[in-house]
Amino acid sequence: MTIPIHVSHQRAFIWDVDRTLPHLSQQNVFLGLPLVLMPEEVVLLVDKQLAVLVDDLSAHRTPTAAQIEAWDQVWKKDIAQQVARLEREASVGKEDRSMSEAAVEKRKAREEKRRLAIIQKQQAEGESADSVFAPPPAPPPESSAGQPASSNIAYSVAVPTTSEEHAWYNQEGSTYATLEAARSAGIWSYPATEEEVAKCAVFRDLWEQGYYMGGGSKFGGEWLVYPGDPLRYHSHFVATVLASPTAPLRPMEIVAHGRLGTATKKAHLLCGYDPATKKVAYFSVEWAGFG
Amino acid sequence: MDDALEQPQFVEKDAAREKGEDESSGDEDEGPDWTKIPNPNRPVIPKRGEKDFEPAPGGGSGLQTHHLNRARAAMFDALRTTRAISSKSVSYAIWYPALARAHVTVARGVHFTSMGHSIARPSKENQSKALKRLELLPEETLYLMEKGALFCWQWMETFVEDDLNSTTRGAPMSVQQAFAEMMGKEDINLEKYHVYAYLRRLGYIVTRAKPPSAGHPAPSAHSHAPAPTVHSGYLRSFFNALFSPFTRLLRRFFAPAFDWWRPLAHRRWLHHSMDYASVFTSLRFIPAGHSRPLMPAEAKLPTTPPSPYEVFYHVYKPNTPFRKTAPPAPDFHIVVVDARKTPFPTIHELSDLYAELPTLPRPLPRRRNLQPVTASTRDPPKAVVTTQKQPPAPWQSLFARLFSLSFLGHATPPQSADAPPERKVNPFMALRQGHKTAVIAAVDASVVSFFRLGEGSFEEWPMA
Repeated sequence: MTIPIHVSHQRAFIWDVDRTLPHLSQQNVFLGLPLVLMPEEVVLLVDKQLAVLVDDLSAHRTPTAAQIEAWDQVWKKDIAQQVARLEREASVGKEDRSMSEAAVEKRKAREEKRRLAIIQKQQAEGESADSVFAPPPAPPPESSAGQPASSNIAYSVAVPTTSEEHAWYNQEGSTYATLEAARSAGIWSYPATEEEVAKCAVFRDLWEQGYYMGGGSKFGGEWLVYPGDPLRYHSHFVATVLASPTAPLRPMEIVAHGRLGTATKKAHLLCGYDPATKKVAYFSVEWAGFG
Repeated sequence: MDDALEQPQFVEKDAAREKGEDESSGDEDEGPDWTKIPNPNRPVIPKRGEKDFEPAPGGGSGLQTHHLNRARAAMFDALRTTRAISSKSVSYAIWYPALARAHVTVARGVHFTSMGHSIARPSKENQSKALKRLELLPEETLYLMEKGALFCWQWMETFVEDDLNSTTRGAPMSVQQAFAEMMGKEDINLEKYHVYAYLRRLGYIVTRAKPPSAGHPAPSAHSHAPAPTVHSGYLRSFFNALFSPFTRLLRRFFAPAFDWWRPLAHRRWLHHSMDYASVFTSLRFIPAGHSRPLMPAEAKLPTTPPSPYEVFYHVYKPNTPFRKTAPPAPDFHIVVVDARKTPFPTIHELSDLYAELPTLPRPLPRRRNLQPVTASTRDPPKAVVTTQKQPPAPWQSLFARLFSLSFLGHATPPQSADAPPERKVNPFMALRQGHKTAVIAAVDASVVSFFRLGEGSFEEWPMA
């Protein structure tokens, strides 16, 4: 079972969670769908053949009139069903509702009384006020109770999240199983630089060791590295990637990473990637604690 | 990890206990966030639970696995919910891909007090007469759709504008399709949309800094800012231009040669008293400050991409009395950059950025240092203006001021000797604020970090 990763404008989204995701992290989980994937996650998932890329712009075809007609029938039927159900429920639970007839009568009487009081007050104050403060008009008589005013019943409108149910959404022909295919189709270009290649390699290496990665930009690194699912466990490392053995690393950076890591109770992980051997070497930076 | 916790019966007990307590909101058990959602159809914002340090060696204990599975199931349940809204509060719109705007046909709710703009478009049957209608920008449309407040149709050829109940009103759009369609339109990308949605969710009012189309309401340029430094800058350059041959002569005459080894010249007959302020200014012989022009950047090629550091959003605090047609001066200027691609701004990018920002008023002195405030001293901009517009001290005639300008090249700091002592601002507060501030939103794969970048004003503050 592969996951469709929906790509538009070089960004990757997950739109349905009915299939169980492999346990990669995602951001903004509290906000609901879509989940936005980090580019390294996309590259890993496609490389592992766990996911395919779907070009979302071309997968949304122009709907035919018949398709829209069919959709509209379903939509109207759904509303009719909802209204019927709500009316049934309303008639069953009438006694304890504030909409019961006795309550409505009472409310009407109260409003009428208030209106009369205002008129009397204005008359007492003088006729001149009438032209400026016209008495509130009597409320229009309610539509007779016998008519089931379907427009008055609030049914619920669902804003569809995914396009799965739309007949004009078709992933066929817009699905790419490999990064190369997606790249030549121009929908996905990551990784493009040496640095991005290194990031993908480090991400993959950490993932294969069983770590879970989340976004680390708030901690001064590429990723936060978790020993287990981020839902339940704290992260232990903040990782940065050095793209090659000759990539510059200023001593000040090491000091800053050490300081930040200590303040956030994490060790900083320097991940050095060697493009020649395709191996990753890890170093962790921590304060030595000599005061 | 405690051995007792790994007993399987503990897991069962735990589950049983929770069954009874699920309704109560007591959250002292260390249940994870997602399980706090009682009903997936009406999700509430869960509280953050506690986390474990790491899974037990060998794949986690029974308790840990149980908690994890519960959390995951709850998360997926919550994510699976549909966006449903009552038919009485839903708004409807039609998305026009060619215009990159959504035309709101039914507007309900408070969103439209601060979102959308009305614009005149020629209607279909009457081409000559333009009708005003409410339209949404892509980010506004997406935000309302994602929130579940707007149902959006996509415009189609067969669409009949008048009859919204007809079946040919266009294709219904899913949120997924909206993301694919609307990103990339009108300068919106995912980063900018994330910042927009994040700030809107917090209640801020967010508008475009540059009107995306003609007729889009925009705040009058820097209307609130008195911009005193700009004025004095103009004034200074004007005087400099007017008197430059004259002053150069005078300078040569009165100050024979500037002695780099003895910068502190006694100019007693020009009535320069030797107080701290004037000593400070005469020691300041290296030109400084942002009013100085930078060395020009290397010649800009026509292919040079525009600076990513441009103000994209104007943000207002939630309680701002906001009128869409005449937005007030914004509270914050937001620059949106992609944290993965954009390096820190160069000095030229920064100076270009600050050139279009208004000058901030000085921060008020802390309340506790003040006398009981009267109504007149409370108004912040006014208070600042009064310090700026102090009439020059009698000894400082125009002539003398001209001299000080031409000799020293910059205006006397406005808070110097002539400022009343009780209006003294803590210099560190003013320095921290700077006199221009932009908020940089760096977005890394949908995680937004906000930073404040201020233009320092060290040259204005004598540290004496």
